[in-house]
Amino acid sequence: MIYTIVYGFTIGAILYFISIGLSLTFGTMRVINFAHTLTYTIGVYALITLIALLKGYFALVAGLAILLVIPISYVIERFVIRRLYGESLDYTFIATFAISLIGVDAIKWIWGVNPYPMNDPIGKYLVFSGLSVPIYRIVIVLIAILLFFGLNLFFKKTIVGKIVVASLEDKEGVRCLGINVDKYFSIVFVLGSALAALGGVLYAPISSIHPYMGLSILLLSFAVVIVGGMGNLNGTFFSAFALGMVMAVTARYWSQGAETMVFIVMAIVLIFKPIDI
Amino acid sequence: MPEILAAEGLSKHFGGLIAVNKVNLSIKKGEVAGIIGPNGSGKTTFFNLLSGFFPPTEGRMFLFGEEITHMPPYQRVMKGMVRTFQLVSVFNSMSVWENLVLSGIRFKERYTSARKFFFLSTKDDEIQENCLKALRLVGLESHASTLTSELSYGSKRLLEIGIALSLNPKLLLLDEPLSGLSDVEISEVLNLLHRIKSDLTLVIIEHKLSKIVNLVDRLCVMNEGHIICEGNPNHVLCDPSVRECYWGKEEIDQGLLQEKASA
Repeated sequence: MIYTIVYGFTIGAILYFISIGLSLTFGTMRVINFAHTLTYTIGVYALITLIALLKGYFALVAGLAILLVIPISYVIERFVIRRLYGESLDYTFIATFAISLIGVDAIKWIWGVNPYPMNDPIGKYLVFSGLSVPIYRIVIVLIAILLFFGLNLFFKKTIVGKIVVASLEDKEGVRCLGINVDKYFSIVFVLGSALAALGGVLYAPISSIHPYMGLSILLLSFAVVIVGGMGNLNGTFFSAFALGMVMAVTARYWSQGAETMVFIVMAIVLIFKPIDI
Repeated sequence: MPEILAAEGLSKHFGGLIAVNKVNLSIKKGEVAGIIGPNGSGKTTFFNLLSGFFPPTEGRMFLFGEEITHMPPYQRVMKGMVRTFQLVSVFNSMSVWENLVLSGIRFKERYTSARKFFFLSTKDDEIQENCLKALRLVGLESHASTLTSELSYGSKRLLEIGIALSLNPKLLLLDEPLSGLSDVEISEVLNLLHRIKSDLTLVIIEHKLSKIVNLVDRLCVMNEGHIICEGNPNHVLCDPSVRECYWGKEEIDQGLLQEKASA
């Protein structure tokens, strides 16, 4: 049972990293961002390429991989997403989905389609009363909790954070304060993409690495965003862990149904709390 | 007096509908101008054009002699033209103080390095001082830490004007600042406007004509996208074309009319 809980928390943490960006881009820019899979997957492939060169320095390589995603996400924002502000949701959906498909093909072209194996970078276990829990998973969960408090501080205490929170509520109002909102959207987008890459590099060692790995986790992350409330950062945190736990518990008794159950929960939430776009 | 804002042949078409039709308007430094007109006469659309919310179909705009026709909204604010909205626009999820703090960014953005700016604290001295000044001006000191969603509509309106003032505007565009307010709240807002009008230039859209007649130096009447009459309020109120289009549809403040006519 303890392993199920740890597994649930790990998945929850990974979903949280990926969902923040989706929630923010939807909340501020009204863009449904399928290109999020791309930054996530590119982070992972940058990781496995760099780790071959710098064996044994996982944290350093993970940091570098995330840094590499920043310019890529900036280009996506500057040349595609920015043109979608104020457009209908269908366009944002099609354009960003196209980016993710182009990205997947580019990855297949550069790295091939075969899955890459990777080892747990810590490889040690915490043993108590006969149960062993991988330390790496605990580290992931701790990073997610730290990030939660860090982001809360950032959005409450800094002006840039406040502007983002205000834009979630009323974009035009922020514009009237003489603030170039688009510039802050850029920051938000890059921040969200970097966090998706963080999720990717942390998850890579304990999952399978292949060009389509981003797609299924992206759909799960959309469920997290919908359950947590679009643009609601605290809600995203709690819904990520709740749905992670739903997956873990379902997988324990019915392994094929784990992902399905997430969408059933999402459907139930939508019945009682429909989103208005 | 020097001209602050000028619109030259400004038009806005929405498909076949002509919301604003070749409007010429010039606002002089220090004056208080009122724009009145029946519903749907294009007043708010005119403001939206001035503040850059949508581009005009034709015509040009000038602010302090500089052309601003294609300038994005935030730059117009930086140049000193600030607006408020018909429906109060404040951030309900934040406290009154936080609402004001947001505007602090305007004068910090240009002077701080990107790294410092990214982590610019809401506790910054200069920002705090500026907020306090605006808060005192609108008389909401006792509500500084109140959540904005808990304020009355009238206080929200005061806060909105306070936010606009904290941006240190030279020209303030107010879109129906008295709409939806009780009589007590109306007099609060009017007091505030009387207090601030000596330091800046005001343009006010208003429905309740009788309330602003003592405030404005000049009245412009809009109907079907045109400015049909403008000038001294007393003169405008007696103009037959204004009476025909405006009074015909609106409730007449008879007492006021008689008073003005006899004066």
